[in-house]
Amino acid sequence: MRLDRRGFLQHLATGSAVLSFGGVVPLPLLVSAERTVAERILVVIELQGGNDGLNTVIPVTDPLYRRRRPTLAIPQSEVLSIADGMGFHPALRGFADLLEAGQLAVVQQVGYPQPNRSHFESMDIWHTCLRKDQQRPDGWLGRWTERVQGAGGDATALHLGPDKLPFALMSRSVRVPSVRSLEEFRLRGAEDEKFREAVQSLAETRRDEPDDLLNFVASSTASALTASERLATAAKAAATDVVWPQSGLAERLRTVSQLIRSGLQTSVYYVTLGGFDTHAQQPDAHRGLLRQLSEAVQALLSELRSSGDLQRTTVMAFSEFGRRVEENASEGTDHGTAGPMFLAGGSVRAGLHGQRPDLADLQDGDLQFSTDFREVYATILERWLKVDSVDILHQRFSALDLFTA
Amino acid sequence: MATELTVQELWQPFEPGVDGQWDLAAAAHLFRRAGFGADRRQLEAAVQKTPLQVIDELLDGQEPPEYRSEMQTLATAAISGGNVEPLSAWWVYRILSTPVQLLEKTVLFWHGHFATGADKVTEPQLMLNQNQLLRRLAFGDFHELVQQIAKDPAMLLYLDSASNRKAHPNENFARELMELFCLGEGQYTERDIRELARCFTGWEVRRGEYRFNRFQHDTGSRSFLGATGVLSGEEAVQVVLRQPQTAEFIVSKLLRYFMLDEPAGQAELLAPLAQQFRDDGLQIRPLLRTMLGSRLFFSRQCVGRKLKSPVELALGLLRCLEGSTNAVELAKAMQQLGQGLLYPPSVKGWDGGRTWINSSTLLGRSNLMRRLITSETTRFGRLSLRDYLSARGLQRPEDMLSELQLLLFAVPIPEAASRSIIALMKSGSDTAVAEGLHALCTLPEFQLC
Repeated sequence: MRLDRRGFLQHLATGSAVLSFGGVVPLPLLVSAERTVAERILVVIELQGGNDGLNTVIPVTDPLYRRRRPTLAIPQSEVLSIADGMGFHPALRGFADLLEAGQLAVVQQVGYPQPNRSHFESMDIWHTCLRKDQQRPDGWLGRWTERVQGAGGDATALHLGPDKLPFALMSRSVRVPSVRSLEEFRLRGAEDEKFREAVQSLAETRRDEPDDLLNFVASSTASALTASERLATAAKAAATDVVWPQSGLAERLRTVSQLIRSGLQTSVYYVTLGGFDTHAQQPDAHRGLLRQLSEAVQALLSELRSSGDLQRTTVMAFSEFGRRVEENASEGTDHGTAGPMFLAGGSVRAGLHGQRPDLADLQDGDLQFSTDFREVYATILERWLKVDSVDILHQRFSALDLFTA
Repeated sequence: MATELTVQELWQPFEPGVDGQWDLAAAAHLFRRAGFGADRRQLEAAVQKTPLQVIDELLDGQEPPEYRSEMQTLATAAISGGNVEPLSAWWVYRILSTPVQLLEKTVLFWHGHFATGADKVTEPQLMLNQNQLLRRLAFGDFHELVQQIAKDPAMLLYLDSASNRKAHPNENFARELMELFCLGEGQYTERDIRELARCFTGWEVRRGEYRFNRFQHDTGSRSFLGATGVLSGEEAVQVVLRQPQTAEFIVSKLLRYFMLDEPAGQAELLAPLAQQFRDDGLQIRPLLRTMLGSRLFFSRQCVGRKLKSPVELALGLLRCLEGSTNAVELAKAMQQLGQGLLYPPSVKGWDGGRTWINSSTLLGRSNLMRRLITSETTRFGRLSLRDYLSARGLQRPEDMLSELQLLLFAVPIPEAASRSIIALMKSGSDTAVAEGLHALCTLPEFQLC
């Protein structure tokens, strides 16, 4: 017998499937009779490699900036002026427009105490809000998914992209789907009913031995099969006349837009953009990356505005650290500490937030942070996703004034 | 049984009959880990010997000269077009065809350890040279391996050392030398990085070769990890390698690569092995011999306690069934599953373990298995899958299944799965057998090795 999608989901939710994962319920198993649209959406953009914050949001009038960056400083005439002697890198034209339209908030000098300058360790700190000497089984958004109920059978969070599932989305009990591309997110051979039913039921078969790895794979397999069924029907939002730039990030955000507009009930989307580790020949590489970021976010917001989804969407961009104030001899910069975060969407309090970088007050040649990234997370959890943040962040952080609604 | 042993005893040689059986299944485990997998003939030959004899053959085996020269010819052809992708396919073909599996498995380990990506190093000759370097020194002296990697042009370009001048040293290589290659994160200070970077100033790449530019070399005194002086780059590498954590760090990575993804009580487990590695002057070969021949390796703590990498998944299937296929397409497919050979995701290489698995890679793995099994270009001992199995006297679905389980699975599959798969294969047609194998390869158990 071939089951339709709802029947299929109910079959999963009511059958033995839920019992067979040793307490691990694949994310999309919760079925509600009515489809309620996920109220608020968060799109996370991870900038990998350590974005050079100083050349992104630039203290253009600070003479120390030019002194420390004799070859890399962006000429004042090219900087897109914002306010208070600060300005955007010229490649951030899209961000400047969003700021103008009241859709972009910049939080300056975001970091954390005793900064770690290893890419991998610092990224793990951002993802888990924990240090290396603590137990780190899950990420902050993974902990969030455990505390919210998915609606309509859809995953509460999705990762889109070719890389591994980000630590931020890992959970002890929920398997967040990772989608490389919608076209490839299908099981071949599933057209054949007999085969599909066999595969589905085999993934759900109870495993006698409570082997952690095996149960992890079994629940992930069941979750993958379910999510692929759902996305196949969800990915059919109408095309719009927004012109998307040609880039990997734009492609992923375009998929995000499609899924949001098609009424998928997912609240958190996670994408990444790599290449920010500019130790050498920084100018061209950095310009290209910032342009890619700014143009893709602009296209996303513009499409969501036309579909009426802008007010309920917030984009958050972060990187694991900023870069050293002093440039190196390879026309590049080495690993540093604090840097800017970006929030974009129809409900953000636009403008510059936090303290501007103080180039006269460095520690080991690096900028000192003035806003803890966990304060930004707390703001997003409490003021945007409307959940208590203490359990998720393991500590109370005060929320900032970053949203208008 | 193994859980009652002390840590010291876990590292003692596995004794067949005392610690467990040395049978076809145990030999299949050894070949899956110390290589990519073995077909029935190889397994039957293996159980005629002792485990240590088989391990020594794996460690000492030499590629026949004609195989080496064929690989050299193919590599030259692969790089002639000026891009790296064909070279990635060349390596896939090499892993599939080599008579010396453990060598390729270990080269793949070092490639992930000293990860260098062709997305940045676009010159195929340099990627090939590095690959050959890793092959030459895979079982050798870790000191020599690090010294040569430090001057390897692909590495110098990948970590920006090629433009490392004395006025403002570039810290990229110095950081990763300590964090990722030798000591592990947190075993040094930021000051150590800055001082160490000065030792490598003036190390350049000219016309594809390492060159020392004394005019760009910082000649002042530097001080890091307890050493002080006008230390050269070579001396600096020795200072790093002298740190006692080096042994723990390398042993811990090898343990997770060859033995088990999630070791419990790791520090205690590692200590005897790290001591051996130090006593042996950081020689790789004796370390691997101890690991692969240990009681622990053949115990339930190890068997089935690793998630297959894409390479282990795809090439494992082919090697166990004498398969051959289009290496170019396979190389691309593995890249999509997160393991493009010569295209590691970052200088940290592949994290392995659970990070291989997510909903996309699981669907992708299943789809790749289907493509491999049903593709016209895939041959099993030059035959179709069904003909290959029936040539071995396997005609009933039950017999086919038990043979496939022996060759391909580290852990048993549920009874219900056996029944479904036998039902799928029932008609005995080429398509039915392929469907059955595809369903088998979509089982969660198939992801373990």
